[in-house]
Amino acid sequence: MTGAPDAIVIGGGHNGLVAAALLARRGMRPLVLEARNHAGGMLGDAEFPISPMPFALRPEICRALAIDVATRPMETIVASPLNSLSGTLRVSGSRLDGGSPQQAEAFRQLVERLARQAEALSGMLLRAPPRLDGAGPRDLLALAGTGWKLRRLGKVDLRDLLRIALSNVHDLVEDELGLGLPGALLAMEATLGGAMGPRSPGTVLTLLYRMASNGGRRMMPVGGPGALTQALAAAVTRAGGEIRLNAPVERILVEGDRAAGVALSNGEIVRASLVLSSAAPRTTLLDLLGPGHLDAEWVRRCRNMACTGMVARLDFDLLAPPRLAGGEVLEADQRLVVAADAGTVETAFNAAKHGKLPDDPVMEACYDAGSRRLRVSVQFIPHSPRGGWTEANRQMLETSVRRQLGFVLAGFEDSVTASRMMAPADIETAYGIPGGHWHHGELRIDQMLMLRPFDGAAGYRMPVEGLYLCGAGSHPGGDISGAPGFNAANAALAARRH
Amino acid sequence: MVKPTQGAPRRRIAPQVIPQVITGLEPGPFHARIAALNHQHAWTNWMGFASPAVLDSVEFEYFAIRNQTTLFDISPMCKYAIEGPDAERVVNRLVTRDIGRLSPGRVTYAIWCDEDGQVIDDGTIFRLADDCFRLCCQEPQLAWLSDIAWGFDVTIRDVSREIAALSLQGPTSAALLRSLGVKAIEALKPFGIASIRIGECEVDVSRTGFTGDLGYELWMRPPDAARVWDRLMAAGDNWGLRAIGYQAVEMARIEAGFLLPKIDFLSARSALRTNRPSTPFELGLDAMVDLAKPHFNGRRALLRLAGERPARKLFAVEIERDKPAANALVYHRRKREVGMITSALWSPTCKRNIAYAWLDAPFGQTGTDDLWVEIYLQREIRWERRMARCRIVDKPFFVHQRRRQTPPANM
Ligand SMILES: Cc1cc2nc3c(=O)[nH]c(=O)nc-3n(C[C@H](O)[C@H](O)[C@H](O)COP(=O)(O)OP(=O)(O)OC[C@H]3O[C@@H](n4cnc5c(N)ncnc54)[C@H](O)[C@@H]3O)c2cc1C
Repeated sequence: MTGAPDAIVIGGGHNGLVAAALLARRGMRPLVLEARNHAGGMLGDAEFPISPMPFALRPEICRALAIDVATRPMETIVASPLNSLSGTLRVSGSRLDGGSPQQAEAFRQLVERLARQAEALSGMLLRAPPRLDGAGPRDLLALAGTGWKLRRLGKVDLRDLLRIALSNVHDLVEDELGLGLPGALLAMEATLGGAMGPRSPGTVLTLLYRMASNGGRRMMPVGGPGALTQALAAAVTRAGGEIRLNAPVERILVEGDRAAGVALSNGEIVRASLVLSSAAPRTTLLDLLGPGHLDAEWVRRCRNMACTGMVARLDFDLLAPPRLAGGEVLEADQRLVVAADAGTVETAFNAAKHGKLPDDPVMEACYDAGSRRLRVSVQFIPHSPRGGWTEANRQMLETSVRRQLGFVLAGFEDSVTASRMMAPADIETAYGIPGGHWHHGELRIDQMLMLRPFDGAAGYRMPVEGLYLCGAGSHPGGDISGAPGFNAANAALAARRH
Repeated sequence: MVKPTQGAPRRRIAPQVIPQVITGLEPGPFHARIAALNHQHAWTNWMGFASPAVLDSVEFEYFAIRNQTTLFDISPMCKYAIEGPDAERVVNRLVTRDIGRLSPGRVTYAIWCDEDGQVIDDGTIFRLADDCFRLCCQEPQLAWLSDIAWGFDVTIRDVSREIAALSLQGPTSAALLRSLGVKAIEALKPFGIASIRIGECEVDVSRTGFTGDLGYELWMRPPDAARVWDRLMAAGDNWGLRAIGYQAVEMARIEAGFLLPKIDFLSARSALRTNRPSTPFELGLDAMVDLAKPHFNGRRALLRLAGERPARKLFAVEIERDKPAANALVYHRRKREVGMITSALWSPTCKRNIAYAWLDAPFGQTGTDDLWVEIYLQREIRWERRMARCRIVDKPFFVHQRRRQTPPANM
């Protein structure tokens, strides 16, 4: 980069990188300041990717940033730890193999209907959320666009959408699919990353939300999650931006109610009149900016944001590639979901809700052949279990995860040579994300769209002039999508034009 | 019906005598003394305390404020201690004026706003030391103060019940204190604070009040309350000292130009309708808003509002003839309804019929003539309607030069 930066991006997670790349391509000189010794945020480092199975960057974003990462869609294998032989299904999109024809047909119908409804909503994801007050013509047009799409759904689908959107995914799958594995999969998709169980109201909405981006499909980058990080980092530097690692920001500087730059924890000051932060909203606003620059009501809403994470990550080093109970190897582009039915997902949630480790944890996993590691995300692990994260609790978690995997993978226990674990509290500390939350803040109806991250703070632009939120805490939320970073950079660019 | 579990012993519920929850009013620290003088037995509810509305006759009590000296129990006021290294930052974050300019030992009047720039309440702020403030106001504010102080190194305590207080107001109030040997009042300027003794009791005195005249407020520990009262009363005869009730205070308050929440404006925290709260600009309190100081609560909204014409504004008005116009509607050219009166009074001292009026824009702001109020008078059962001309005047209606004079006059 030549010359001083004119924009600072706090946090080099994928959203920070997307934002920086877009700013750079529009002629600015952004400087990304990342606390850790690697870029990519929770995509993680080669040793331990927090997000082992990325969703996909939106194609519009790849196009805008001229990024070309080869990806392979992942097939999902759902396996029941209760009944290891007959209990395995393969799922790709709406196609389900391994069950009865009736099961497959019911699943296809439900998923295709949800996909249509999700598609109608998807237009809202790559835009700043509609504003509640003083909506301008653009906001109204965007809303009208979504409204039009919803109308085009047709009467039956639309009525159905309005009926189910605020209901819970457990009831939906029980009604439409009956008990068993297909429902287990949708219950997992609806709740993964959050702190709501399948019976919590609003979980059909979170399911639709997930399906709205890329049909909800995970896309494994060729070369693993790290390849995505590299491609994004390259896009930043290629366009004239700079990325600095090991550079934790301690404070956002404000002069005359405008962002003026940042102070690093080593005391260094970097000045710029535009500051975008992909650190979580709470971290950005309460720690880096400080409540003194914000109205008390705003601070209260920010403090009360729900952001308790409930996903733990475990890696297991294996002697040999894992094999399903039927004998097939778990391939690199396959994702294993371990849950018997929607009810067992709810049971796991109930334990976590009360600060207990679930007896029979539910999880998703994939195998990285290069490092010979099975990467597991365990859903519904309490952020603060009773007694805290003691050795005993860690041991208990590992044992129960191993046991569950032992039911669905042949010879798993004997194959494990080493393991690593990051509980939600560890992720919180390592990445500076309050609660260690997958989305930097719970994705639920009162923290979505124009209420994301919280009422009054939507639209990326913060009350201090020149300060923007650009991470997963903002609309449309987490997962690897790049959308918050993209939308925030667009908002900042639009404001500069005015 | 739920069947009892088998084998479970049947239980009989013993009738219990539940003591009646006590409702009604609490006696304040001066209650016994005031009750003995309260010949009207007229009590009102002030923050849950029994507060006298009037003791003998409101006329006597009012004229005592203006001609002698008076004692009114203000203990029910809400009082908060704000202390610690960040105390000044927190108070500055709360109020719209620059508290950095308030020296220790001084008091100021201030207002505070919500995030929309709407007034929450007003009150007086005592700076007792660099890092030690006391806030006195009408409505409970602890929850709000906790929100304001979140993230700052400060402690906030509700000290409402730890401090008893008397308002000693009137032209002879200084003379009375002088006769009790209080030297500190000689140098005590308006809005100053001093520590004194009355008898054996330690008392803080501030030269503050809401009468527009010479007056003091006395702050003490509740166990000392009766003794301080007795000393003042014993010395008070020469100075025409009279205990008074709320109604007389209210008359002086209107004359002196002070606004009262719930009467003249509604706190943003209690209003349900979005257009009911008011901005400082609507209340005519522009001078209390320092937009040049760094962020304080509501600043960004106020910055925006400062550039707009208020949709309505509160004005001091004078009305022809003598009938008070409380709650009357205001008309333009006798026809078009353009506002309403809040507080109103025939001012015996000013000999003017005064009031505060809310007027919709542009009335009062640009169009000021041909305004009328509609007064309903009951004359021996019959109601009569009177249209009286009203015109906009400056606040306050009454302020005496004695209020500022230091050393204070010996009357
Ligand atoms: C256990 C777990 C598993 C997940 N698995 C998947 C998955 O399989 N697929 C998927 O798509 N998503 C997954 N996610 C979600 C995904 O990781 C996040 O939604 C995504 O990483 C958010 O991206 P981001 O760029 O907004 O923030 P982050 O990736 O969190 O990046 C924020 C960056 O900011 C940095 N930072 C914070 N504070 C400062 C500071 N003061 N100064 C400088 N830098 C700072 C952090 O170090 C971090 O690098 C998972 C999340 C969790 C918790």
